Amino acid sequence: MEGLFFNVNNGFLEGIVRGYKAGILTQNHYASLTQCETLEDLKTQLSATDYGNFLANEASLTTTIISDRATQLLVDQFNFLRSNAVEPLSKFLDYITYSYMIDNVVLLITGTLHERDTHELLERCHPLGVFESMPALCVATNVEELYQSVLVETPLAPYFRNCLSAADLDDLNIEIIRNTIYKAYLEDFYDFVGALGSPTSDVMRTILAFEADRRTINISINSFGTELTKEQRAKLFPAIGRLFPDGNNALAKADDIEQVRLVCENIPEYRSFFDNSPGGSQDLGELGIAAQLEDRFFRTEVRLNKEAFLQQFQYGVFYSYVKLKEQEIRNLTWIAECIAQDARDRIHDYIPIF
Amino acid sequence: MGDDYPSMFRSEPMSLVQLYIPTEVAHDTVTELGELGNVQFKDLNPNVNPFQRSFVGEIRRFEDMARKTRFFTSQIEKEKDPIPIRPLSDSAPLITVGPRAARTIDELDDVLGEHEARLVQMNESYKTLNERTKELTEARYVLRETAVFFDKAETQQTEVRSSFDDSSAPLLQYDDRETQHSSASQFELEFVAGTIERSHIPTLERVLWRLLRGNLYMNHTDIAEPFVDPVTSVETRKNVFIIFAHGEAILAKIRKVAESMGATLYPIDANADKRADSLREVTARLEDLQTVLYHTGLTRRNELVTIGENLSRWQDVVRKEKAIYETMNLFNYDVRRKTLVAEGWCPTRDLIVIQTALRRATEESGTNVVPILHELPTHKTPPTFVRTNKFTEGFQAIMDSYGIATYQEVNPGLFAIITFPFLFAVMFGDIGHGLIILFASLYMIANERKWARANLGEPYGRYIILLMGLFSLYTGLIYNDLFSRTLHIWRSGWDFVNMNGIEVGVPTGRVYPFGLDPAWRSADNGLVFANSYKMKMSVVLGVIHMTFALCLQLPNHIRFKRPLDIYTNFIPQMVFLQSIFGYLVVCILYKWSIDWTTRSTEPPSLLNMLIAMLLSPGRIDPTTQLYAGQGFVQVVLVLLAVVCVPWMLCAKPYFEWKEMKKIQGQGYVGLDHHDGLRHSTDEGLEIEEEGNGRAAIEQMEEEHEQHDFGDIVVHQVIHTIEFCLGCISHTASYLRLWALSLAHAQLSEVLWSMTLEGFLGMPGITGIIALALIGSLWFGATVFILCIMEGLSAFLHALRLHWVEANSKHYQGEGYPFMPLSFAKLDEKD
Repeated sequence: MEGLFFNVNNGFLEGIVRGYKAGILTQNHYASLTQCETLEDLKTQLSATDYGNFLANEASLTTTIISDRATQLLVDQFNFLRSNAVEPLSKFLDYITYSYMIDNVVLLITGTLHERDTHELLERCHPLGVFESMPALCVATNVEELYQSVLVETPLAPYFRNCLSAADLDDLNIEIIRNTIYKAYLEDFYDFVGALGSPTSDVMRTILAFEADRRTINISINSFGTELTKEQRAKLFPAIGRLFPDGNNALAKADDIEQVRLVCENIPEYRSFFDNSPGGSQDLGELGIAAQLEDRFFRTEVRLNKEAFLQQFQYGVFYSYVKLKEQEIRNLTWIAECIAQDARDRIHDYIPIF
Repeated sequence: MGDDYPSMFRSEPMSLVQLYIPTEVAHDTVTELGELGNVQFKDLNPNVNPFQRSFVGEIRRFEDMARKTRFFTSQIEKEKDPIPIRPLSDSAPLITVGPRAARTIDELDDVLGEHEARLVQMNESYKTLNERTKELTEARYVLRETAVFFDKAETQQTEVRSSFDDSSAPLLQYDDRETQHSSASQFELEFVAGTIERSHIPTLERVLWRLLRGNLYMNHTDIAEPFVDPVTSVETRKNVFIIFAHGEAILAKIRKVAESMGATLYPIDANADKRADSLREVTARLEDLQTVLYHTGLTRRNELVTIGENLSRWQDVVRKEKAIYETMNLFNYDVRRKTLVAEGWCPTRDLIVIQTALRRATEESGTNVVPILHELPTHKTPPTFVRTNKFTEGFQAIMDSYGIATYQEVNPGLFAIITFPFLFAVMFGDIGHGLIILFASLYMIANERKWARANLGEPYGRYIILLMGLFSLYTGLIYNDLFSRTLHIWRSGWDFVNMNGIEVGVPTGRVYPFGLDPAWRSADNGLVFANSYKMKMSVVLGVIHMTFALCLQLPNHIRFKRPLDIYTNFIPQMVFLQSIFGYLVVCILYKWSIDWTTRSTEPPSLLNMLIAMLLSPGRIDPTTQLYAGQGFVQVVLVLLAVVCVPWMLCAKPYFEWKEMKKIQGQGYVGLDHHDGLRHSTDEGLEIEEEGNGRAAIEQMEEEHEQHDFGDIVVHQVIHTIEFCLGCISHTASYLRLWALSLAHAQLSEVLWSMTLEGFLGMPGITGIIALALIGSLWFGATVFILCIMEGLSAFLHALRLHWVEANSKHYQGEGYPFMPLSFAKLDEKD
């Protein structure tokens, strides 16, 4: 049934987004990109791809410029999609921007706390998550004020209600706020895609469930050895995902990485995350495992997002495209950074998409 | 290759040439060849990454120079008063060949760099100056606007005070009030004033309201004039705002919020005299700044004018040089890295010209090592190159957009020059409309040079329109249509006599010498007659066109030495087509030639005759017999057509199979034999060309032979079915000539009778005015609906008749275009 009417409102945009997706760099492109000697070479190589001559008018190249311009391309594409979308797709696309908004809010609060220059902070915000009254965030000194003055009119307001209790803004509290908001956001998004009905909810719930699990695992690992109590930790876990509820309970009580690993063993897909950690944990150290884990999370995310394109007549493709493109920009930045810093041995550590 | 003159009948014979170019003359040689524009270079290092090639450094350098020229162009375009860019034709060329070339390029690079640096610096200072002007202007606005607020507040203040006095305040606070009075004679509230972008005003208001819980008084007014950024020329509109609030902390908060939202704050004094002072000061400084700004702007403009004088030749040089180095990247170094090896296709006819160009290049570069050119024998299919001029170009483009002709195939573009406008005119026939498009095309041709200089549009479409107009005149004369009216040039062949109250045409014995007799226009059965005539005419034209297209197979078969195809394809196809449709055409002509009023039999319906001929051969209704012995002739023709089908279907596969058997019987293994021979002769050449690909090809050839035969059978079956069905559907398809011509005539008649006809006889001054109004309406509709819309539709149908109906009879169109390195084309591309 969904195929019958989907195209009336969304066929055009789905076509557009699938076209955009065809422009995502492939393994071949990466192979030639990694051979580049200088950033100029990189520019030449990229001009043969869908990026075209997006760097043609830059007098000097830096990694930041490359990633900024690439992000700008993504933002332009996204804005095109957003301005052509109708309900409920427009709402869905708005949901995608909320996660960037959360990041921006947290970035601004943290920055203000450490007395950074506001304009510098504003420049570092992700353009997808910019909202009008955002600059005013920097005057807030406590959560209450933050909420009352600025956030109350943003879509993030409902997520904030749960964490109004935290009194002062310090690093730990901000981290707690971030995770609480994110948890609320994920759960809300999860419900929203559920309300959209079958193909969209199937695809998106898989992706969001993984996103939730990833956060849960990350929070657990990062909270080891901090003053965060176990009860507080349990409150930060999103109440969705494949680890929920048994895994979440176990993780809330976990004390070291080994226990996290055991919890993940229960999910076949997650088993590989900790694959060689028993042997390599000594030389990698906790930090090494976390880095390796992060990498594997990204790989899994890319795989899930790629799978979203196998289904038609659903909104997952829009979400997945943005995420894949974001990954691609991370890859580009990584490669550019490796070239710029002459760390050629690590240049292959990007995450291939297609 | 024996032709002395280039013709459009076949594409040019091409040669694969190899050039050994000493490194020091490489650049000049490529320049000469690029000016000449008739060598298409092959990529000799397909496996090398674009940035690993030999001349990447040079290309980068020119890309950077191109970036600089683009920067200049954008700067010049942004200037409000247009700055003249001297066209390329007026400027002295930069010499980029010969021994001084390198220095010229270096100098050019320096000059560009200098100009860029100067321009950037000027932009920078212009920007800072502008920024400061903007700030001062804003400050002035803030001062002016806030003065209004203050004045208002002042008057309110007195009111407040007076009411204050009246109220029964506690006496104890009297002292307090006294002190307050003295200070409040100026003002007592603190405030923040500044400017902010208009779109941010509501947000600012909202945020501040919530942040201060409503404890503020905010006022704002629009600044009428927009601020224009000089570099990006983006307009921004701003507002002046003033916020009154109480308390140092709150004010700090307001400042922070306002600043983070992009507002500019200005310190304003509460004292009116001080405000007046600062206003004066600001105005004075503003005037100074504007003088400086004006001078900076003038210098910048002068700089841009200087750049504008040279810009187009710089662009030209940069573009050419980049193309040259990109071409040189396709070349290969020989073993000692002293010479470059280039390979490419060029027209065999131009070999001598190329040789001369090579020698000239050597002379110019001042060395005495001549690049060596020699032809390579090859079995590769060369690109298709048809020499065109501005007249033939358009017609060739029509055929090329269907498919590029196979190398040396008969080129239908040549015949399209006449057939295309003719078929168009059959559908568009009207003297008046033909004249309109004829004059339109003449106007375009007259302005050709002027427009070419201004780079307006492609030149070749206008010659197609010219011929279309001429042919429309001709067919219009035949149809005797002038804006749906008739011309009475000669005496009509009919007189109208009143018989029993009905006007009946009586032949006068004269025959109207050319075209349709105008008497038919007024006759009741005029439309029936025109229909019958045009329908038959389109079938006749269609069969002639298809027969002609079919005949074009013959030169192809002869040229490619395929005698088998003549006997197994061409002849049966021709017999099939002629025995059915050729016979129909003969019948049409024969039926026209008979005066049926003097015959005893009824005129036969030719359509029914054709159907009966195929369904019940041999039986003829004697009342509608066309000629004696018709039954026998038709049986023979149908038999001939039927025989042709298996002939086409089986003959070619059979002969192919026999040939294969013969070769196998001689102990060879089919195709491998030929390939083996070729490989050994062209070994040297092929190693470079095919590289690794060849092993795979050889492996495949084992199975090749089986596939080949299967392919031939399948191909032949499809071809036969397509041809037989095609003959019927294509003949029917030519009826569109009739349909469109009818629609065109009817439409123009309707237009005439709906508009002009009623107003022609109106007397007096109103009649003239009405005629003028309606006449212009009629003319507008004629041009837009009948000439442009109908013209496009007729064009489209003519295009289809050429692409589908005619081209399917002979055209293979499997070639690839010849794309030489040519500086002239380079300009077109941009």
